[in-house]
Amino acid sequence: MNAPSPQEFQRQLTRRHFFSRCGMGLGGMALASMLDRSRAFGATPTLENPLAPKPPHFAPRAKNVIYLFMAGGPSQLDLFDYKPKLIDLNGQPIPASFLEGRRFAFMDTSHGTNLLGSRRKFTQHGKSGMWVSDLFPHTAKIVDDITLVKSCAATLFNHAPAKLFMNTGSGQYGRPSMGAWLNYGLGSEAQDLPGFVVLQSGPRGPRGGAVNWGSGFLPTTYQGVPFRGNGEPILNLTTPEGVSAARQRQTLDAIRDLNLSHAMETGDPEINTRIASYEMAARMQTSAPELIDLSKENADTMRLYGVEKDTPSFGRNCLLARRLIERGVRFVQLYHTNWDSHGGPGENLQGDFEKVCREVDQGQAALVQDLKQRGLLKDTLVVWGGEFGRTPMGENRDTTGRNHHIDAFTMWFAGGGTKAGYVLGETDELGFNPVADRAHIHDIHATLLHLVGLEHTKLTYRFQGRDFRLTDVHGELIKKMLA
Amino acid sequence: MRPTPLLVAAVLLLGLSARAATVDYMRDVKPLLTQHCTRCHSDAKQEGGLRLDTGEFLFAGGDSGDVVVPGRGTDSLLLKVVTGAHRDIPQMPYKKPPLAEAQVAILRTWIDEGASGVPGSEPPGVYTHWSFVPPVRSAPPAVRQKTWPRNPIDQFVLARLEREGIAPSPEADRTTLLRRLSLDLTGLPPTPAEIESFLADTAPNAYERAVDRLLASPHYGERWGRVWLDVARYADSNGYSIDAPRQIWKYRDWVVAALNRDQPFDQFVTEQLAGDLLPQPTVEQRVATGFNRNTQINQEGGIDPEQFRIESVMDRVSTFGSAFLGLTVGCAQCHDHKFDQISQREYYQLFAFFNSTVEEGHGKSSPGGALAFPDELTGKEFEERELEEARGVVERYVGNRGKAVFEWMEAMPAEQRIKMPNTVRGAFGIPWDKQTLPQKRACYAAFNPDDQEFKAANETLTRLEKAPSPVTTLVMSELPVPRESFLLIKGDFTRHGEKVSPGTLAIFEPLKVANPNRLDLARWLFSSARPLTTRVLVNRVWQQYFGLGIVETENDFGTQGIPPSHPELLDWLATELVEQKWSFKALHRTIVLSSTYRQSSHVRPDLEVTDPTNKLLARQSRLRLDGEIIRDVALASSGLLEPKLGGPPVFPPQPDGVMSLGQIKRNWQPSTGPDRHRRGLYTHFWRATPHPALSVFDAPDAFSACTRRLRSNTPLQALTLLNDTQFLEFAQALGQRVGRESKGPLAAQIEYAFRLCTSRSPRTDERDRLVTLFQTIQDSASGEPAARTAEAWTTLARVLLNLDETITRE
Repeated sequence: MNAPSPQEFQRQLTRRHFFSRCGMGLGGMALASMLDRSRAFGATPTLENPLAPKPPHFAPRAKNVIYLFMAGGPSQLDLFDYKPKLIDLNGQPIPASFLEGRRFAFMDTSHGTNLLGSRRKFTQHGKSGMWVSDLFPHTAKIVDDITLVKSCAATLFNHAPAKLFMNTGSGQYGRPSMGAWLNYGLGSEAQDLPGFVVLQSGPRGPRGGAVNWGSGFLPTTYQGVPFRGNGEPILNLTTPEGVSAARQRQTLDAIRDLNLSHAMETGDPEINTRIASYEMAARMQTSAPELIDLSKENADTMRLYGVEKDTPSFGRNCLLARRLIERGVRFVQLYHTNWDSHGGPGENLQGDFEKVCREVDQGQAALVQDLKQRGLLKDTLVVWGGEFGRTPMGENRDTTGRNHHIDAFTMWFAGGGTKAGYVLGETDELGFNPVADRAHIHDIHATLLHLVGLEHTKLTYRFQGRDFRLTDVHGELIKKMLA
Repeated sequence: MRPTPLLVAAVLLLGLSARAATVDYMRDVKPLLTQHCTRCHSDAKQEGGLRLDTGEFLFAGGDSGDVVVPGRGTDSLLLKVVTGAHRDIPQMPYKKPPLAEAQVAILRTWIDEGASGVPGSEPPGVYTHWSFVPPVRSAPPAVRQKTWPRNPIDQFVLARLEREGIAPSPEADRTTLLRRLSLDLTGLPPTPAEIESFLADTAPNAYERAVDRLLASPHYGERWGRVWLDVARYADSNGYSIDAPRQIWKYRDWVVAALNRDQPFDQFVTEQLAGDLLPQPTVEQRVATGFNRNTQINQEGGIDPEQFRIESVMDRVSTFGSAFLGLTVGCAQCHDHKFDQISQREYYQLFAFFNSTVEEGHGKSSPGGALAFPDELTGKEFEERELEEARGVVERYVGNRGKAVFEWMEAMPAEQRIKMPNTVRGAFGIPWDKQTLPQKRACYAAFNPDDQEFKAANETLTRLEKAPSPVTTLVMSELPVPRESFLLIKGDFTRHGEKVSPGTLAIFEPLKVANPNRLDLARWLFSSARPLTTRVLVNRVWQQYFGLGIVETENDFGTQGIPPSHPELLDWLATELVEQKWSFKALHRTIVLSSTYRQSSHVRPDLEVTDPTNKLLARQSRLRLDGEIIRDVALASSGLLEPKLGGPPVFPPQPDGVMSLGQIKRNWQPSTGPDRHRRGLYTHFWRATPHPALSVFDAPDAFSACTRRLRSNTPLQALTLLNDTQFLEFAQALGQRVGRESKGPLAAQIEYAFRLCTSRSPRTDERDRLVTLFQTIQDSASGEPAARTAEAWTTLARVLLNLDETITRE
């Protein structure tokens, strides 16, 4: 016997209710209303699917966000923030006025305070004439599509708390990440994938781990789901060994039917949510492998990103990010490690830094170009940046590297209603402090939310007696970034 | 007379009886004004020249003239400002949630009716928040349906339902009741034998005996211990990015044991807050202080340890606030509390109680910070993990400094070289990255003999290499000379404000001792602060049984919290706790014996509009089980459960790759033997990379006190139950168990399997559906008949373990 269709099973249940289970004071009308509700529960998004799309506060400029997180803190001074004066003063002590009252990581050990000029070659690119160093030859080609913000500022200078701050607006554990906030505020258009997906590349996971994409005090429905670079893309996605696809379907059908029967018995709409979540899980079992299967991408695309079908890499994750937002995923976050450049083993500003630049350059440029030529860039905001930048002073370990710097660093944004070919903010001649248009992380958060149609002061969640926001009690919209 | 809906709403809001027909100044209006207006308009403060603490002042008006024009409610200034209709004056209460419509209606009606009833001499209304006032034990109200109540809880609940004209739900069937009791009291489903004997027991006190049996079960301590561990933010690792493992499981076992012996709540809390300060404390009492050592430790390079030591003290303060007072004390860390009467100074006075313990920010072991049990060894598995960890710490430390060491060695003249220890001599000429760890350690020690941080790490490693490590547990221990405490400006640890000494919150009577310590603070909880301590506890216990607390905002009993749905019931329970000598078990017993608790949890269409969140308790609630218990139930159903209590954490299987999500890749070597099938609360909890089957079902992250778990319902949960290898293992075991224990015809075997998972027998349609499934698979599977049958059983068991009902308390 084939399992009955849901409708058929429901009809059988209805009959059963009418003929055998109506003796307990539930009249026919009440029962009918219960059944109606069970059928029509889709009308109540909070019960049926907490990720159902919700209207934004105002017309959005971007529908989706792809966030390229450069974990470890890339050196803006060797990539974007060109400082000839710093090169002139290479090796000189930094004027004391810059250091007064500042705190740095690794304060316990004596690191140099002499200035370190970049050894990289900087040239201007595109119509906008943006300065980019020779480490980012591909990225140099997309400068006319991006807003470069050179005056970013953070609050915390150790990796894990700073990453948390960049993601949640707070260095405290337990706050929701921006991807979770976005899904909480807007829901997701994706029918058969989670609304917030995390992809990782590089030698290790980002410091702090899962809290970076956690949902904090928001329901776990909104947390980021890490897709893995190879093998099974989602934990427990694959049907257990020895269970065929047909068997899995039979299992799912039986679970659905029995759950439905119990939903009728108890009248609890939560069971309907569970039925829906099993159906979504089943669709994910098909859609996630389809997502990571790149065999249908044409050769030009593969060349553009510089990737091979099954080799995990940042470039491959960039291509996957495009495929994810094409399928309606609201927020895709890519982590790439390791940008930490203190000068120690594996972290020097020479070969190691060149290597990590090479790892991301082609993929990130390809992503912007690919989104643009497919007409997706106008609806998709691409964000690039680390948890902080690096000091203008050198730090002496095995080699001379740079320490963490939170007062001025560079991020860039593409598409989604941001200006194209635009540089915001300027730093002093040593690159130590912003001298114009300081953009604190809270302001960047406020702007990011604005671009997707959310007013940052209105996107709140009550927890422990207080209304929490991504921007805490701060944040100003950076109007100059808007196209 | 039939009261109008508006008036009904108004009287309900005030918790008054339904006989109220007109508005009375003293009874209805004055409490409103006192509650919402007198903080700015009374003796202490007269904003706009207005006082509202007596009727006389009310009629005197303020700078804007009369606030009340008798007979003309809507036109009165009072109404205009509370409704936000005034052109110049902002809506009142200023920057607070506006009055509810029913409250506005009370004011309007009173003025419309002539604004009368103000007595000649009247005590001024002084604002006091409800939860700060000692609970009053009211006589349980009379009810019409006299046969329903079994104890006072039911009278409070029913009286309210009768006022609303709602009938309670019928009692759940006996199987459901036993399953509910078993899951609620022990976190495990009843065995088939227990169900049979309960159904066969027709004695009138069968239910009471079942309750007593379950409360006496050692699994009771595990179930309710886990609830407490959520509040205590218990975990087996240090948190932050390094997330090194820690030993504090003795504290976890202490909680379970204390609950099992029904240690009175006041002692239970006192020992956790200040066991070390009791006269001649026992080892157990010191272990209990692990409560305040469940703070995170940041071992990341380059940090300022003091910053994170301060963080851990702040965590203790906010945990103290949410665990015992139900107040958001943490809000006063950077500024005076915006809504409650907690100043920033008071915050740092509490801070000072917790600031003088021996540990430092980097988690270095100072004498007294951990308690060792020399006669108990951790066991081989744990030792290996610990050794690996210690090795990693040393390796990372010297790794960053290798170049300098190597250069120093290269430059060393020959006559000095021969004076070096053997190991160092053997390392000359070997490039740093080719040196073995023993060589690197020896070279670094010679290079920088005064590096205390290296010394500590190296000594730990040496100790672990030499001797099996004894069990230890983190405890609180005071410094001989207290640390000074300061108010930290904007919560910034670098900005010292005035010096502060330990002190309690001003909302309650202050301590009357000089130089109070944590023990005095604990005693304060059970004397001056008792109104909150008791209400907060009984409310949290209540919410475990009904899904929502009587105060829905279980972590906010302050002015921003939601007032209790049944204030008299909350107070009755709070006083009952004291009458029952602070016994947890007596509290549980009272609640589960009530008719309120025993109701059916079926959703009622008639309540959907009037009471969608079931606050009035006209039925029970269906509650999805906690993450740990979902697995416990599967283990119990499949017969795999290893019921052993306590001991070091265990490592049940988890999907590959989970541990690589953290900064430091750690090994998760699954436990073998019985430890594979222990209850969920024993699973090793890494803060940075928790077991995915726990976090996917909303287990708390252990970063801060969790007073209520959320219950989400996501596709990832479905994938876990469907595909996780653990759950496949459970399904196979369940199938085999049925074959072993039930020899009847197929339908009977299926019924047995169904009962093992849901406790009840399947309805006909359910049984038929499962029989069809079984036969379809048996017919279509490949292989020998035995293999086909096994596959059919495994599939059927997978279905059963995935049912919503299996993972739900009905």
